[in-house]
Amino acid sequence: MSVRSMAILTDVSRCIGCEECVQACKRANHLGDDRPYGWQDDATALSAERWTTIVRAPRGRYVRLHCRHCLEPACASACPVGALRRSEWGAVTYDPDICMGCRYCMVACPFLLTRYEWASPTPRVRKCILCFDAIREGRLEEPACTAACPARATVFGERDELLAEAWRRIESSPGKYLHRVWGEHEVGGTSVLYISDVDLSSAGWSHDLRRHSYPALTSRVLKTVPATFVGVSAAMFGLSWVIGRRMKLAARGTEPAAEGARRGGEE
Amino acid sequence: MNQQVNVRLAVTRTILWGVLGAGMAVAVVRFLRGLGVTTALTDLTPWGLWVGFDVVSGVALAAGGFVIAATVHVFHLRRYQPVLRPAILTAFLGYVAVVIGLLVDLGRPWNIWRPTVFWQPHSALFEVAWCVMLYLTVLALEFAPVVFEGIGLTRAYRFLKRLTLPLVITGIALSTLHQSSLGTLFVINPGRIHPLWWSPILPLIFFVSAVALGLAMVTLESVVSSWLFHKEAEWPLLAGLGRAASWVLVGYLALRLADLGWRGSLRFALEGSGLAALFLVELTISTVLPILLFTLPSLRQSRRARGWGAALVVGGFVLHRVTVAGIGHTRAAGEVYLPALSELIVSLAVVAGMALVFLFFVENLKVWDEIPPRPDHFRSPTTDPVSRVLVRAPWWGAVQQAAGAWVVGAILGVVILEAGAGHGAAARPDPVVGPGAIGIRRIPNGGGPGVRLVLAGAGDPAPAADVALSTALLLDGNGDGRYVLFEHELHQARLGGASSCERCHHRTVPALRATSCTRCHRDMYAPTDTFNHARHAAAVGGNRSCERCHPAGAAKVRAASEPCVSCHRQDQVRPAPFPVTLALGEGIAPPYRTAVHGLCVDCHRRQEAALSLRDPYLSRCPTCHRGSGDRTELAVRRGWTVAEGRPRP
Repeated sequence: MSVRSMAILTDVSRCIGCEECVQACKRANHLGDDRPYGWQDDATALSAERWTTIVRAPRGRYVRLHCRHCLEPACASACPVGALRRSEWGAVTYDPDICMGCRYCMVACPFLLTRYEWASPTPRVRKCILCFDAIREGRLEEPACTAACPARATVFGERDELLAEAWRRIESSPGKYLHRVWGEHEVGGTSVLYISDVDLSSAGWSHDLRRHSYPALTSRVLKTVPATFVGVSAAMFGLSWVIGRRMKLAARGTEPAAEGARRGGEE
Repeated sequence: MNQQVNVRLAVTRTILWGVLGAGMAVAVVRFLRGLGVTTALTDLTPWGLWVGFDVVSGVALAAGGFVIAATVHVFHLRRYQPVLRPAILTAFLGYVAVVIGLLVDLGRPWNIWRPTVFWQPHSALFEVAWCVMLYLTVLALEFAPVVFEGIGLTRAYRFLKRLTLPLVITGIALSTLHQSSLGTLFVINPGRIHPLWWSPILPLIFFVSAVALGLAMVTLESVVSSWLFHKEAEWPLLAGLGRAASWVLVGYLALRLADLGWRGSLRFALEGSGLAALFLVELTISTVLPILLFTLPSLRQSRRARGWGAALVVGGFVLHRVTVAGIGHTRAAGEVYLPALSELIVSLAVVAGMALVFLFFVENLKVWDEIPPRPDHFRSPTTDPVSRVLVRAPWWGAVQQAAGAWVVGAILGVVILEAGAGHGAAARPDPVVGPGAIGIRRIPNGGGPGVRLVLAGAGDPAPAADVALSTALLLDGNGDGRYVLFEHELHQARLGGASSCERCHHRTVPALRATSCTRCHRDMYAPTDTFNHARHAAAVGGNRSCERCHPAGAAKVRAASEPCVSCHRQDQVRPAPFPVTLALGEGIAPPYRTAVHGLCVDCHRRQEAALSLRDPYLSRCPTCHRGSGDRTELAVRRGWTVAEGRPRP
């Protein structure tokens, strides 16, 4: 995999919970004010108007939540129209003009981090897109959130380099961090990596997560589709022909033909 | 027969029209105001009844079409011919119902055509979409001969009849694919669905249950139709279907238990939770009871047992599918989805609509051999040749009845929606809690930068005589117990003392020097309308003085009225942080959070620019939203600590 893949590394031990990233995200993506709607826990939870938010982890740590930009995104694989795509450098983007609103992406997301505009009659899926449009058009050099972080707790860069940096930090201060980079292997790898001095299982990294790619769970089944179609059709034609022929032969043996055929079919 | 009024049919039809009316009323609100007001769906449980029942169950309820078609045309069991036409019709209408249910559920239904053009073969839903589309076409072609026969298109009838076998076999293959693919939909996210339901072999489980469901549905509709039309059901055939169904059900039960056992998930069935109970109930009514009803020697000859058995299978498997598609998604989400009444009504209305079409076809085409079509029934209305007055057709009474039921239903549909649904989703109110006051001391930080803030009282270590006690405000607008310690006296002193109120405060309330923020900004997240019409009307002279504010001839709405400042000019203070403007929306106070952030952060930002060297972080969140000292780097850098365990005011 020599494709250039960009990523975000968040060092939970450095996050001061100031929410500058949240405000920067809101400005960059023109998101509205938070509202405590009935379908979210509280107004500061991740929502259609809040693509990144800060949650509490044990020992008073803050953890920033937002789309993890999986290397093999389940949402993009689930989308029946191709509205969600992984861009060439790793951002998982969304095109509302294509979307038909089935919300299968939300069902498929292993981290449950996609949000929806439930209040709108023309709803869109809402999630972090790593400021993809702004970066492509040259308005931003890096996502607004990482640029805004005053503590450099969340940084943007090449995934390989950030992964190396993460391990360098872990190795260089023994005992400080847990010996793990969240996102290195989970669900086949994500472009949003975390290192932390506390366990993150209560902050969006469930113990249930598997280490393999989630789209593979489906593609394994879908691979059998053409064979099933041909196989079932052939078997049915065969059965129909064999049974029909046996009934015809039975009918020829017994008279009257029609009655015999009927009874033959019944037994 | 034709002349007799069938009471059962008339009552059933009236109820169906009522349900249809209720569902259509809800659907109108859903399309105008979105899913938020009409469903119980959330970001964590984005699929519910409309997917679980209308789509995932609907497709399986229509499985009778391919099962009976295979029985008759592939296995040549011609004696099942009498139930084939109703089965095909149910299947066709079932798939139409699926598409209608999907259109209601889709957020952006105008893009429903896209999977046909922009292929995404890696998506299970894409495959389901294609199969449903193709199979709907196949079903239309399979049922079309009945229509052609009814309206006398003999050549088209003969042509399609010759295509029967290829059509049937294509239908079987397509059904095999998408009945199982509905299960594939849920394979992609093992962490989301409770382990009693998630399984890598969900495709197989869904296919087997669809076969059983198809057999049960054919039985059920035969029993219901015989009751509705006072005819004898095809009991010998239904006995055969029951036998076949019990074999399939035994296989299904074995499959489910083996799968759960192999994955080690069977223990969850006895964990005593609500979902465990749901699992046991579901398995009992979908398989265990029907197997007993279909096979116990004392029961299997009973017609009633056969009807109930089929009904239990249908109910049980619908429960299974709604659970897999929505209710069971509680594991990772940690929250429970239960459908809203408005969702239920729409789902029922889709079924009711299809049932009405079904009855129409049964009465006007040859669907059942025993129920002859009634060509006279829908004769077009005629006029009296002399008077030119419309002569009432015999069906006119039925139309009136249906329309009446529809209207009553629509009214009920509006009633069950939550209040205000017509205006769109409303956020929960979050009334602001006013500030409390507390004594603090500012102590020099022994050599370090800044000062230490110490709460007076319990935690006060050394109340030095030269450190004055001052009063600070504890701001906690949303009442969550996390305060902002606001040193009101300090701010007042820095901004110019006793005459500086208007640097921060409005003075719009007459005779008040400073109006507290929470007096008008009464909700954390929603604007507050602070204008009291009755009071103003009384003050300017009651009913005869409307024109004082509302110009003659203009609509009496706020936008067309005199601005408040035309009277309240003396209350406007300059320079004010919030100049009272003449803009629209006057009299509306922004949310508390917006107002207070706007006030504090703007000023801090200006100060930050002026004092960049001394305090480069003045406008940042932790300046005010201080943690408990040890973990907010910024607070520590500023040398501020606040004693732990702040008492509530």
